[in-house]
Order: sequence, then structure tokens, then C-alpha cells
Amino acid sequence: MHSIRVTLLKWLITPLVLINLIGAGLTYGLAWIPAQTAFDQSLADGVWALIPRIKEQNGQLQVDLPSEAEQVLRVDHFDSMFFVVRTADGKPIAGDHDFPLLQPSADIDEPLAYDGYMRGDPIRITAIRTLIGNKQVFIGAAETLRKREHIRNLILSSLIMLEILLTLILIGIMWIAVTRGLLPLKKMQSDLGQREHNDLSLLESRHQPLELQPVSAAINELLDKVRESAAGQQNFLADVAHQLRTPLAGIKLQLEWLQPKLQEDTEMAHSTRLMMSSTQKMIRQTNQLLALARAEPSRFEKTQLIRLELGKLVESSIQHFVTESDKKGIDLGFDLRAALIMGDPYLLSDMIDNLIDNAIRYSHVGATVTVRCHTEPDGSAVLTVEDSGPGIALSDQELVFSRFYRVSNKVNGSGLGLSIVRDIANDHGARIKLTSGGGRQGTIFSVHFPPTST
Amino acid sequence: MHVLLVEDDLILADGISRVLRMHGMAVDIVATGDTADMLLQHSDVAVLVLDIGLPGIDGFEVVRRLRARGNALPVLLLTARDAISDRVRGLEMGADDYLVKPFSTLELIARIRALVRRSSPQSHELQIGNLSLDQFSKRAYIDGKPLELSVREWAVLEYLIQQIGRVVSKQQIIEAILTWNEEVSLNAVEVYVSRIRLKIATSNLSIRTIRGFGYVLEKAEQHDA
Repeated sequence: MHSIRVTLLKWLITPLVLINLIGAGLTYGLAWIPAQTAFDQSLADGVWALIPRIKEQNGQLQVDLPSEAEQVLRVDHFDSMFFVVRTADGKPIAGDHDFPLLQPSADIDEPLAYDGYMRGDPIRITAIRTLIGNKQVFIGAAETLRKREHIRNLILSSLIMLEILLTLILIGIMWIAVTRGLLPLKKMQSDLGQREHNDLSLLESRHQPLELQPVSAAINELLDKVRESAAGQQNFLADVAHQLRTPLAGIKLQLEWLQPKLQEDTEMAHSTRLMMSSTQKMIRQTNQLLALARAEPSRFEKTQLIRLELGKLVESSIQHFVTESDKKGIDLGFDLRAALIMGDPYLLSDMIDNLIDNAIRYSHVGATVTVRCHTEPDGSAVLTVEDSGPGIALSDQELVFSRFYRVSNKVNGSGLGLSIVRDIANDHGARIKLTSGGGRQGTIFSVHFPPTST
Repeated sequence: MHVLLVEDDLILADGISRVLRMHGMAVDIVATGDTADMLLQHSDVAVLVLDIGLPGIDGFEVVRRLRARGNALPVLLLTARDAISDRVRGLEMGADDYLVKPFSTLELIARIRALVRRSSPQSHELQIGNLSLDQFSKRAYIDGKPLELSVREWAVLEYLIQQIGRVVSKQQIIEAILTWNEEVSLNAVEVYVSRIRLKIATSNLSIRTIRGFGYVLEKAEQHDA
């Protein structure tokens, strides 16, 4: 996979390492050449010391070199030292006869250093061409390379260590720099990653770096389009549901007119009762679809929130619940204390309606349902609906909030109720808690609203 | 009672007219806003049941024109939309009430009767089952035998009967019976209600307690519209 970090690091580190290598090469040269020159110089010193000792006697060249003086020339702690004095035609006069061929500079008294071999070992030679009287004499001094190698190795190893250290530090700095540079990208990623599937709010691009702005602008544009299309879908759903209401009202009224007229005929009464129950189911489903479309976060507008008393909201639909619970012989009770929230009254009515309807629907005859609301010490409002019904198994508790999931198929439910409740709670930043099972009877749904800021 | 029904869905219009006639009302049906607007300028009906979504001029416009002519005819709007804007707009245009489709016969009849009651002068006599109230003399009778009620008890009973079948909170009862310099506690309401309960035990009315909330006065035979 293509990675910005890898690309950046590749393009930063490769040239950096190359430049470092070139730098190291140059540093090596700069350190080694003066050292070599100094060594050559001291070798040349030996040669210079020899010159005064060469004399011409009777046309013959002689070197007056007592053995102590020769010792001084030859002794070195690390290296073996060699020397030779030859005539221009190569005749040896003094020193080591097996000294390799001398190639001094063409100029007189100009020492020249070069590499060579002697007795199988590499050596460094300094050769000089000098005049004794009017005769040219070649003088050579040489030493093995131990000392030089030692110094060279020292320079090399310290250079390598230094370069490795520098490179590592630089790579570290680059890594940190690249990571820091990519931080806004990572933040954007986590922002997007943590979203709920239906959270289509725009990305906040004000604090983003210049380079990311076009990206988030493009994403925002896309989010806008998605939101538009989601809203379009929800509007379509709402339109369909609305369109269904008039014909449903027609069927319902026709059936209500028909039913009392068919009371005597049990078969027909049975059939019309089934039709009525089917119609009621369709009506509920249609209303639920509408509520779902309304609760859809893409349609939800925070600007429509108003300060509301939870108890008053429950009160406004109490008539309907009392009738419903009465039909099922359920003891419906209330404990409504002061509880202020910020919310959309129509959505919240849908939510309360679904919670209570759910409790009544899934409880057995003679069960108790209690609706409560109160304010917690921290100022957050809580709505709870408790029933003494069969309860919800732990394995079902996560699933009950998903669309079209139904715990029991014995009960006529749309399977949408609790997902509507969840959507509306989410819209309001409220948290739903479900307490049920674990050997105890009944279910408690509680909705915790965030504290209202005054 | 004469009802003008404006509804373009023929099956629904037919259903509404059937159930209204079944409950003893006379119904005229028109399918467009223009026809309704025209009819309303000449004929005299007791209540207008009006769909919002109509071909031609819509329900809002029919109400607006009606009110513009200074006509105070009670108007019940029928709407397929329960969007806030529709409700608010309908009531702002001068409609008296609205009903979201699909509704039940009982709801429709109750709303129409309530509208008509509101617009016509009140009678002093109220008769529910075997219980009758004389609002003028503030006396109540069961099968013609007078009940002994305190002033407060009478006020609570009158309110419950006005709201028959509806759940009322204790707070609502307090607000309904309160006069300017008195204070009534929730406990006092409970006491009044339990006394009334004893006193109307022989009637075919009963007061049911809604735990933690309030009461509902019910007729022994349910669903008698």
C-alpha cells in the first residue's frame, strides 16, 4: 500500500544517507591526507638526515654511517624501517640492497612519497634525488604500514560511528517531524472513524492545516450530498407514509361502520375483526415509519430544540395510554417529578409513545407499568418506563434496538419502536439504559438526558 | 346536526359520511375546495369537516376565506400530515381543531360534538346515564334523587363529568375548582374524589384512579358514544 509516511521518509532519508556518505568520504580524505603527509614528512626527515653523511671520496661515493646512527634510523616502535642509497644507475651504496626500485621526483632535493612492496609487505617509500658533488644520488627510506593502518582505522571507525549516530539522530528527527506533520491527517481519520453510521455532520476545517483544507472541503461536499440523498430518502418515506394515511383512514372508517352491522353473523364478524386488526397494524406500521423518518438524524435540527418539561410531555399522550392499558387490564401508573430538558416535543412524544406502547404491548394481562421522570442531583433529567412483563433475555438486549427485530412473534409489533426510541434519544444526546433479566421479572428502560444549560 | 364534509378521497368521504349519519348527523360531501368555498357562502351548516390536501384551493385557503367573511362556523381540519407546521398553520388560519388521519369513528364524533357544543349556548342540564347535573342550581341527582355534595365536591364532580372519558390530573382538577383566594392540596383532591366515589356508587358512573397521576370518570357500559 502506498504510504505518505514511507514516501516522505524515503525521499528524506535516502538523500540524507547519500549526502552523509559523501560527507564521510570527504571527512576521511581531509583527516587522512594530513596524517599521511605527516608520516611521509617524518620518513623524509630520515632521508634528510642521511644526506650529510654521503661523501665523495676519490670519485667514489661513500656513506659514513656508524651502526649507532643506523640504529637510530631503523628503530621504530611499530614499523620495520628500511633505507637505501643508490647511484643514479642503480648501484647500491648503502642500506638494504633488496629495497625496491627508486622513483624519485625529477627535481633535485624534492622528496616524493609512494606505495610499494618489500619482502612481501606493503610499504610506504620516500625517495629523493640529490647531488653529491656533481653526481646524482638516489636515497630511499621506507616503513611498513602498521602505524599508518592503525591511524587510518582509528579515523575510519570513529567516522563510521559518528556517521551512524548522526544518521540515526536525523532519521529520528525526521520520523518525529513526519509524524507530527501527518498528525492532522490522523486526527481527521479518527474524527471520521469514530462517527456513527448516520452522523453526517460536516468536518470542522477551521483549525486544519492549509494542505488538508481542500480534502476536508471535498469530504464535506460529499457529506452534504450523502445527507441530501439521505434526507431525500427520508422525505420519500414520509411522503409514502402520508399518502397511505388517507386510504387507511377510508378502510378504517368503512370497517367501523360495517362491524356493528355484522355482529349477528359470527363468520362475518370474525372476518371483519381480522380486517380491522390488520388495518390497525398497517396504521401503526405507517405511523412508525413516519416516526422513524422524523427521528432520522439527517433530518434532525438542533435549532428546533426548546425547553420542555418531561412530565408534561408524558401527560399530553396519557389519554391514549390509559385507553390502551385499560383494554389489556394493565395497571398503568405514573410518578412524574420536575425534569427539564432541551428537545423537540414531537420527536420526544414519539419516543415516550413508543416506550410506553412497548411496555404495554409486551406485558401480560394484569401486569404493572410505571412511567417515571425526575431530575438527578447533577441536573440531568431521567425518564424511566418500568414493566412487570416477561423481561428481555440478555442475548436479546443489544438486538432490541435494531430495526425490525422482535423478541416475540406472538405480539403484534412493528419491530421499529425501540429503534425509533434509540434514534430520538441519540438525536437529543441522551443515553438509553435497559435493565432486565438476570432472574428478576420485568424490564426498565431509562433515558438519561444531558443536563440543560441555563 | 348538519355537517359539511370536504374530502377528495371518495372512499374516505363515503366512510366518514356513513359513520356520521349512523350517529344521527346530516352530511353533505364535496370534493374540492372551490365547491366548498362556494357552498359555504350560501348554505348554513353546523360544522365544517375539512381535508387540507384538496385539488384547487386547499383546506387552509377555505378556512382563511371563511374567516375573512367573518363566519365563525366551527371547523375541524383533517390532515394526513402531523408536521408541526401543518397543525400550527391550520389553527392560525382559524380552524378550531384538527384530526390526524387515520382516526377512529369515536374520535371523529367526539371532536365534532365538542366543537358544536363549544359554539352553541350551554344548557344547564347535563344527563349522563342515570346521573343528572343541574349546573344552574349546582345540584346533582341519581335517578331523580338528589345527592348531598359539598361545594368543592360538586365542583370536582362537574369537572369530571365535563371531561367524561378523559384522564384528568389532580393538578387539572385543582385548577378547575380553584377560586381566587383559596388553596387546594393534592391530598384534598384525593379526599373529595373518594367521597364522590361513595356518593355516586349507585350510579352507572365510576371514577378510576390513574396511579400517580389523576382520575378518569367512566360510564359502566364502555364505548357508548
